[in-house]
Amino acid sequence: MSDDNGKGAEKDIGSREQFEEMVKRLELSDNSLIGLYRTMCTIRHFEYMADKLYAAGKVHGTMHLSAGQEAVAAGISQAVRPDDYLINHHRGHGHFIAKGADINMMMAEFLGKDTGYNHGRGGSMHIADFQSNNLGANGIVGGGIPQAVGVGLALKMQKRKEICICIFGDGAANEGVFHEAMNMAALWNLPVLYICENNKYGMSMDVEHAVAKLPIAQRADAYGIPWACVDGNDVVEVYEAMKTAADHVRAGKGPYFVETITYRYFGHSKSDRNLYRSKEEIEDWKRNRDPIMRFTKHLLQSEILDEGQAQEIDTQAEQVIVKAVEYAEASPEPDISTLMEYVYA
Amino acid sequence: MPVPFIMPKFDMDQEKATIISWSKKEGDFVKFDESVLTVETEKVAIDVPCPATGTLARILFKDGDVVPVTKVIAYILKEGETLADLPNADLPTPPSKPEVVPVSKPVAAPQAAPVTATPIAIRMAKEEGVDLSRVPASGDRITREDVERFISDQKSKGRVTVAATPAARRVARESGVALETVAGSGPRGRVQSVDVVTAAKSIPVPTTTVSGREAEIVPLTSIRRTIAERMQQSFQESPHIALTVEVDMTEAENTRKRFNTQVEKLGQPRITVTALMIKVVAWALVRNPYMNASFNGNSISLWKDVNIGVATAAPQGLMVPVLKGVDHLGVSEINMRLLDLAERARENKLKLEDVQGGTFTISNLGMFGIRQFRAVINPPESAILAVGSVVRQPIVVDEQDRVEVRPILSLTLSADHRVIDGIVAARFLSDLVVGLEAPSMLLL
Amino acid sequence: MPELSYLEAIRQALWQEMKRDERVFLLGEDIGRYGGAFGLTHGMLDEFGEERVRETPISEATIVATAIGASLLGMRPVAEIMFMDFILLALDQMVNQAAKMHFMFGGRTSVPMVVRMPGGSGSGAASQHSQSLESVLMHFPGLIVINPSTPYDAKGLMLSAIRNPNPVCFVEHKILYKTKGEVPEDDYTIPIGVAEIKRPGRDITVVANNIMVIKTIHVAEKLSKEGIEVEVIDPRTLLPLDTKTIIDSVARTGRLLVVHEACQTGGWAGEVIASVVGSPAFDYIDAPVRRLGGKDIPIPYNRGLEMAAVPQEAEIEQEIRALVGGKI
Repeated sequence: MSDDNGKGAEKDIGSREQFEEMVKRLELSDNSLIGLYRTMCTIRHFEYMADKLYAAGKVHGTMHLSAGQEAVAAGISQAVRPDDYLINHHRGHGHFIAKGADINMMMAEFLGKDTGYNHGRGGSMHIADFQSNNLGANGIVGGGIPQAVGVGLALKMQKRKEICICIFGDGAANEGVFHEAMNMAALWNLPVLYICENNKYGMSMDVEHAVAKLPIAQRADAYGIPWACVDGNDVVEVYEAMKTAADHVRAGKGPYFVETITYRYFGHSKSDRNLYRSKEEIEDWKRNRDPIMRFTKHLLQSEILDEGQAQEIDTQAEQVIVKAVEYAEASPEPDISTLMEYVYA
Repeated sequence: MPVPFIMPKFDMDQEKATIISWSKKEGDFVKFDESVLTVETEKVAIDVPCPATGTLARILFKDGDVVPVTKVIAYILKEGETLADLPNADLPTPPSKPEVVPVSKPVAAPQAAPVTATPIAIRMAKEEGVDLSRVPASGDRITREDVERFISDQKSKGRVTVAATPAARRVARESGVALETVAGSGPRGRVQSVDVVTAAKSIPVPTTTVSGREAEIVPLTSIRRTIAERMQQSFQESPHIALTVEVDMTEAENTRKRFNTQVEKLGQPRITVTALMIKVVAWALVRNPYMNASFNGNSISLWKDVNIGVATAAPQGLMVPVLKGVDHLGVSEINMRLLDLAERARENKLKLEDVQGGTFTISNLGMFGIRQFRAVINPPESAILAVGSVVRQPIVVDEQDRVEVRPILSLTLSADHRVIDGIVAARFLSDLVVGLEAPSMLLL
Repeated sequence: MPELSYLEAIRQALWQEMKRDERVFLLGEDIGRYGGAFGLTHGMLDEFGEERVRETPISEATIVATAIGASLLGMRPVAEIMFMDFILLALDQMVNQAAKMHFMFGGRTSVPMVVRMPGGSGSGAASQHSQSLESVLMHFPGLIVINPSTPYDAKGLMLSAIRNPNPVCFVEHKILYKTKGEVPEDDYTIPIGVAEIKRPGRDITVVANNIMVIKTIHVAEKLSKEGIEVEVIDPRTLLPLDTKTIIDSVARTGRLLVVHEACQTGGWAGEVIASVVGSPAFDYIDAPVRRLGGKDIPIPYNRGLEMAAVPQEAEIEQEIRALVGGKI
């Protein structure tokens, strides 16, 4: 269980010994740890660049940014296999980056270009990459949760070893299909890892006012599904929980439910004025619990990276994003004559 | 200048007329207003008066031709004029080009004098897209009222509204038939494609043999076509019911004899059975208003006037001259008007108003020995009375079963069941029986 | 040729396709031991086992979503929604998800699934089990809406539906289940999006779907004895709609009547009529174009009321007579 009562004070990240003992137990190599750091930096830069592009009037539609939640995406992707299936929610940029999506194609889609993953038909909310078993983000809250039942069922019928990772938010857990799907996934013992990324708010409603009994993950008990609820801003803790869950699912023991407690920095979408939460609260999370900051401290403390290396990785990540913007901006718009394409296969 | 003799327009919605016969030929001397030819419209045959005094020349259309109204059909040479004075234009009659009327006038650079108009008129004209220079001013300046009147005039001139199906419009376009001239057989007179096809076919007359047998193909005259269409429409649209009664005409005959004694003294023509019949029918119609009615689809018109048509055989076909306001006329007056109409029908001299406005029709075939028959209702009327021949026959005349030979007339009423219930028809017939068997009842 | 009922024809299609293609599986409520609410899947559990005749909890949205998820992984699911009315519980999955995935994801995936759903009134099932919602489903590009009227069409269209790469709503009519017709034993398909002239005629075009096709053909046979020849067109697929066949027919007959059981307001007849009136067939229209839909009311329980709520043969006959006789 995470504790989130430590407002106003920097989260105690624990000692160097504790971290190194944990990393060793989890068999996380230095390269893996640096990889997690790089992924988180890339996501952070993507999200801030997205915000910047929007402010510059280069984005046609809205978007849902996941800055502050990077540890969840990075931790999951480290714990599962690249060919596992992913069903994602609308705040999905981070998960796609963590799953290894092509940043250029993502950015191109974000700008509505023909070279984007969806040929400009989907935008930020619907990026999908079927080649890498990324089954796409969903604009309907909770829309993907029951589809994971079908993916899990197919995997089972096809006797495959991949599992289905289904990520949704705290808001989606209150949709009716959540319960239908939990029941059926458990009933049929399907290989689905359900992850509730609890960032504490729906559009504006805080989770305490929306969920009768917390944590959300304890609902899994009703369906006989094992569960965990972890600090989503601690990438190693996320990794550990996801590893346990994925191994359980992959072993054919049925679904598993993990809730990650995290926090989004930006508003729900671009029309959000943050009227439902205080500046102090946002600042507190940014200053005292930021997942990248916390992980960087560990890496420096344990001498896995020095300041210069950490800075260089961050700069490289930024460069990837800047290049992606160049690629996307140079890409052609979809030809209007192709308007009627892709309606029917 | 020779006077052009044009085909006159007789009726509001008339587009053309058929020439039945010229009574004068080229070279004949004709006088102003003298009848020189007879033409036939859809409704009636009409004598056409000569427009000027002089010599009839260059007859451009012969008997049987269908001529659009206002077209030149001949010329009148005035004294001193010769054929050489005739215009050359219409001589080698090339297929006349359709007159092209531009839908909208080409927008020429407005050269008109600067228009003075009130500010509101200017604004309105701008909003409605009206060229102010075309708007006549009622006073010093063009006012808003002037613009409104102009717009409303334009609108009313804008389009001819003929109810026609899209298919009828297409066929009309393709065959060059003017829709306005086609009688619609559809609901509320809607022109359907079949109507246009029929109208188009009537222009050229193909000689053809049907199933290998030789036949003389007789072109439909306008009157014949009108009869055909209306009878078919009537029979298809109005559910006919027919009721027959027999009337002892003894008393009617006696009454007629008494009348005749009187009118002969006055030097008036003898009263016919039909005249007496019309009087009794008019009386019965007043008593049974639904018999004097028209069905409108959503409503029924109960006519205030009693206008009785009398089906009359004429050389050119069936004519139904109408006696107006019969309920206010005496038998003698009815008789005289009837004789006048019948004579003019036989001579094809009926005017339009003579055949319009009927509310009920009587058809009499008794003179041919027809005992009884059923007639088809003449729309938009709702009933028709078929009068058979009077036959002297023995009947039981009282409760002691005494048999006497009496003149018996058979009357058959055809009624439109949409308007007239069986009981209404029966009551009407029963009134007729009373009126004919005891004419003095009319005085009650 | 063997005679099968409409229900048996659909079962035969499912059976044969499951034999032919192991990716095909069924899912739905009570489709196993019970054999489905109408017995359509009777015997299939024994033949194919629980894995491929998968009984589900009463969770319509997740039934459809499961079909979507499985189809994304190359399966060919055929889901049963027990009564068409219940598809409304799954409309998010049908419309926001299945219908849009191919497009929204830039053509990089497709959703080859079939959702069967019996609709229609006539069984006394009242307002929540008798609707004809095909017009609703027609409104969503990306879906295919199939609506067979005969056993022969039902089998051929079902085989086409399963093999089609798009999400298909396969709308059956529960009163048609018992109607019989010749159905070949062979594997045959009927193309999607192609209407059929069920009966040629020169005087009027009547476009009807499912049970209304059968009713209209009865009327047409009766009127034929009087010399009125009715052309009966069954679109068979409502989306995409074969407007060409209809337009060509109206250009020949000059008259159009559209008959459906779905409520008249917003019903697909309006779509057909708009297509025809706006087409070159306009110039051949020789009578008002008319529609005869279900009354704009929920389907009532009482037998007499239920019959009166949807077009019956007498009304169809009356409409045709009025149009052909120039009475309207």
